[in-house]
Amino acid sequence: MAKVLRSKEGWLFELCIDTFLILLFLVFLIPLWRVLMVSLTPTPDANDPTLGLFPPPWKWALISYKQFLSHPSFFKATYNSALILIGGVAVSLFLTVPLAYVLSIKDLPGRVFLSGLILVPFLFNPGLIPNYLTVTNLGLTDKLMAVFLPGAISVYNTYVMKSFFEGLPEELKESARIDGARELMILFRIILPLSKPILLTIGLFYGVHFWNDFFSPLLYLNRQDLQPLPILLRSILIASNLNEYVEYDAYSSASVESLKSASVLIAALPMILAYPLIQKYFTKGTLVGSIKG
Amino acid sequence: MNRRQVFLILMMSLVLFMIGAGMGFTGGQEEAPAAKGAPAAPVNLDIWVTSAVSESGPPPADWIAYKIMREKLGINLNVVFLPSNFTDMDTKINTAAAANALPDLFAVNPDTLFKLIQLGLLAPVDDLIKLMPHRQAYYQDEVRRRMVTVKGKMYGFPEMGAIPQREGLVIRKDWLNKLGFKAPKTIAEFFEVAKAFTEKDPDGNGKNDTYGFGAYIDQRQLHESGLGYRFDPIFGAFGVCGVWNVESEAAFGLNARKPEFMQALQFIKKMMDAGVIDPDWPTVKKDEFRARWKQGKFGMMREDFAALATMANYKDFDKNFPDGEWLPIPPIVGPAGKSSLGNIIKDIRIHSISARAAKEGKGPLIAKLLDWMGDPGQEGGYYLLGFGVEGENYIKNAAGIVTIEGIAKEKQWTSKEMQPFTQLRNLVINNSPQELASRYPAYKTIKGRTIDPIKDYWSVFQTHNWTEATGASLIKPTGINQADFVRFYNENVAKFVLGQQPLTKEEYDKFLAGLDHLGAKTLEDNAKSQLIEAGLLK
Amino acid sequence: MLGIPLLQFFLFRYLPLWNAQIAFKDFNPVEGVFRSAWAGFIHFKTFFQSFYFAELIRNTLFYSFAKLLVGVPAAITLAVALAESHSKLLRKTVQTISYIPHFLSWVIMLGVLMMLLSPGNGLVNEAIKAAGGKPVAFLTTPSAFPLVVIFSDLWKELGWSAIIFMAALLGIDPVLYEAAAVEGANRLQRTRHITLPGIAPVVMVVVLLRLGTILDAGFHQIFVLYSTPVLGVADIIDTWVYRQGILDFQFSLATAVGLFKGVIGMILLILSSRLIRRLNGSALY
Repeated sequence: MAKVLRSKEGWLFELCIDTFLILLFLVFLIPLWRVLMVSLTPTPDANDPTLGLFPPPWKWALISYKQFLSHPSFFKATYNSALILIGGVAVSLFLTVPLAYVLSIKDLPGRVFLSGLILVPFLFNPGLIPNYLTVTNLGLTDKLMAVFLPGAISVYNTYVMKSFFEGLPEELKESARIDGARELMILFRIILPLSKPILLTIGLFYGVHFWNDFFSPLLYLNRQDLQPLPILLRSILIASNLNEYVEYDAYSSASVESLKSASVLIAALPMILAYPLIQKYFTKGTLVGSIKG
Repeated sequence: MNRRQVFLILMMSLVLFMIGAGMGFTGGQEEAPAAKGAPAAPVNLDIWVTSAVSESGPPPADWIAYKIMREKLGINLNVVFLPSNFTDMDTKINTAAAANALPDLFAVNPDTLFKLIQLGLLAPVDDLIKLMPHRQAYYQDEVRRRMVTVKGKMYGFPEMGAIPQREGLVIRKDWLNKLGFKAPKTIAEFFEVAKAFTEKDPDGNGKNDTYGFGAYIDQRQLHESGLGYRFDPIFGAFGVCGVWNVESEAAFGLNARKPEFMQALQFIKKMMDAGVIDPDWPTVKKDEFRARWKQGKFGMMREDFAALATMANYKDFDKNFPDGEWLPIPPIVGPAGKSSLGNIIKDIRIHSISARAAKEGKGPLIAKLLDWMGDPGQEGGYYLLGFGVEGENYIKNAAGIVTIEGIAKEKQWTSKEMQPFTQLRNLVINNSPQELASRYPAYKTIKGRTIDPIKDYWSVFQTHNWTEATGASLIKPTGINQADFVRFYNENVAKFVLGQQPLTKEEYDKFLAGLDHLGAKTLEDNAKSQLIEAGLLK
Repeated sequence: MLGIPLLQFFLFRYLPLWNAQIAFKDFNPVEGVFRSAWAGFIHFKTFFQSFYFAELIRNTLFYSFAKLLVGVPAAITLAVALAESHSKLLRKTVQTISYIPHFLSWVIMLGVLMMLLSPGNGLVNEAIKAAGGKPVAFLTTPSAFPLVVIFSDLWKELGWSAIIFMAALLGIDPVLYEAAAVEGANRLQRTRHITLPGIAPVVMVVVLLRLGTILDAGFHQIFVLYSTPVLGVADIIDTWVYRQGILDFQFSLATAVGLFKGVIGMILLILSSRLIRRLNGSALY
């Protein structure tokens, strides 16, 4: 973009932008740093209960992480979450892409009707009970599919994708249509290759949603061995309401706050790492080549 | 063509995946092997209960208890552990109720019980109790029975809940000694001590970081709305503990209507204004509150004996303050000579059988299961589910009390590793003195002091003043929008105390008028007739 | 090509709507959806006439609009700033760190907020005290609580919402910038006249969709952060419904409120789409 002109021009603009970014950086960093520090300092310290922002490294301990990772359900939960993630993203993209593409066809007959069809249930989400009744009546209880199938088409994501497709040059589609290609072919041969950024972005959106969703598993998965990571996390974060009268040693070394922080960071880690990896594939100017060609 | 092939392959695998997932392939079905020697294949029983320790995992699939149940009782037990907080637990049960898909046996909240009964989703259990010789003793308590009874039939098993009067007022003895104070007896002394704790650096660390009193908003159901249990000793000093006044038929009504209630609020406000309460009390939740006293933030509180004094919980405090000591004191006395640690309410844990299961004829089988669980004999499940295997996880001492003497650390029934094996503890506990001695053994602190949670705290709490208010916990709020009423009550009480609403007679009368607008009179009238009918009001 | 997606849609969006008829019935689980007795509009009436109705609507709308008006421009600003910065280091680090908060649950956020805002020893209050002021109990003071809600939500979602705008920015043809530069436009002007209009379609879609769900004001956040003293400014429709539902088994009432939210959302969506259409050409349909 503006990189084309790397001159002194606009240095004030650059300065403002960079200062703004640095300030933002600090605003984000400080609380996050705090969570990390709490996760590394398990024992409530009488002399310095808040520990400030920089507890000295000799007070650090990995016990909270160890405790969470050695939880008996941890591996099974991660495995279940991974299955839900893969299944969810695959199914979601599989369903969303054709829908978004069809909606983006400019002179599609019945376009308004189709849009209405999509939008109505989006607005009128009747809530917990009717959805629950539907899913259980379809026999999906205790199947991992119950977690990702009902939410597989997000209207929000569909519309974003549709926007992207609409933004692609019309000439490409036109020339293919004139050559007699059917829409399905156009989608695969022409549109998809150009859609890496949006596919990855929307895939990431779905992925994060499914990775973090605890409500659907709570409702539809009863069996202990199907519980995914968010349920495990929640049981640790909100553990003590009914079990006040603790007679045992569960918190042998890690304090509650520290355990909570560590658990959250671990559960969030895969998603946090995903974005920079995908970022590599966002190549700019992909369109330039195809127009000329 | 290449891309197309790739895509087709992806599609195929996706479809296969979906079919597989749909058939439960990714979930896996567990087959129940037919028990050898059993007359017929074991019957599946689905039970939803709360785990004893939510942070630990469930019992392993090859747990010996499952095997025993299959072979001896002919039951293939499928346990679903409910989430450990009321919110999620209710969500799961309520939605299952909506779909008429409640399991065979499940744990129920007292509030939810009546709705479920009204909707016809529960089965009566009176006849089944007759089938349980070992467990009948659990269900003798008259009040608890009444709590699950509608129109003469019991719709749930009224299990033992928490043991009664388990909380009390405690104070940092070492702080008192350091500042040369005696334990406060009256409410005026209470205030003075709180002030001293705040201002005179009782922990001697040179920092102005301590407070007199610590608390958090601990509301439960309607009968304990307002500021909650933590402040009971203060309200008790004015004779207005809890929401309801159940002293007599003549006096019955909301405590809020009594002038003493406003006086209690004024006293708390005075403490707030003087800065002698930990200022975060309106926002912290229970965990944080407990972490704070372990960090030595405040010197007086009302706390649960087990949360205070069992080894696992006291450890962190002991490490921080080896010379620290919490002394239980009698509740402080108010201007009219009244005092109370709180209301005596019957706590209860309820397990109900779904109407559906009863129709399928599973009632007697469930009774058999529960009976086995309550049987402390050699053949029974009481010790197995509550503590583990004798000799392996515990041994009984001369008095027949379960101890961990001589047991390897990771095999002790209290160790982290063994928690999964006693997750069904809630189904078997009976709060007998023997059991309590097992669950709350004495131990030595770092400095060699012996702490016995039962003797040093619980028994002492029993000797203090409590308000007899059993009736209060039996009131089923009817005729009003309970949620809105509770919110209005809680919100205004909090606002008065925090100074966000002036605590004048005028404003207070407006508060009472608001309660009336939301149906306070209807609530009171209905409650009164309920209690008179139950013979709990004279 | 449409077949399969529409099948899923039918199953999981339209079937529940059929089940939603319990909003007009006295739903009894044993009878089931079909056989439960009709009850007309009584649940809607209960909701409209409830004691806190006006306050709920006010709070819900306030939070939704505030988050929209603050969040969208902020996200756009971040996206543009990131794109425009010449420093690759700054871009990568800020972008990565900005979306980490999105992954934190609100339970953890409460802890973070308490560390910052606690009247006893929160960082912010330490700063206020150092400057000679009196500490403020942000989370329990009605005048401060809404700000906490809005800005903590902003902190949490800013980086994540910016992603979509950054993807949109990538779709702007570089040729346009070159042409503008040749014509003598400086960077600020290029931003105003090319970048912003370039992402306008995506912005519009985002805003419209959010308007359609305007009555969803962030249940999880409020639920974790609110406490008794601030109920007056914190209670939104969803938290009220949650309490009714959990305490009172009010399935039909909850469903009725859900439908009500949908009606309002639809009206807003249609109105704002008409407005955009008049200004611009095409909107969502």
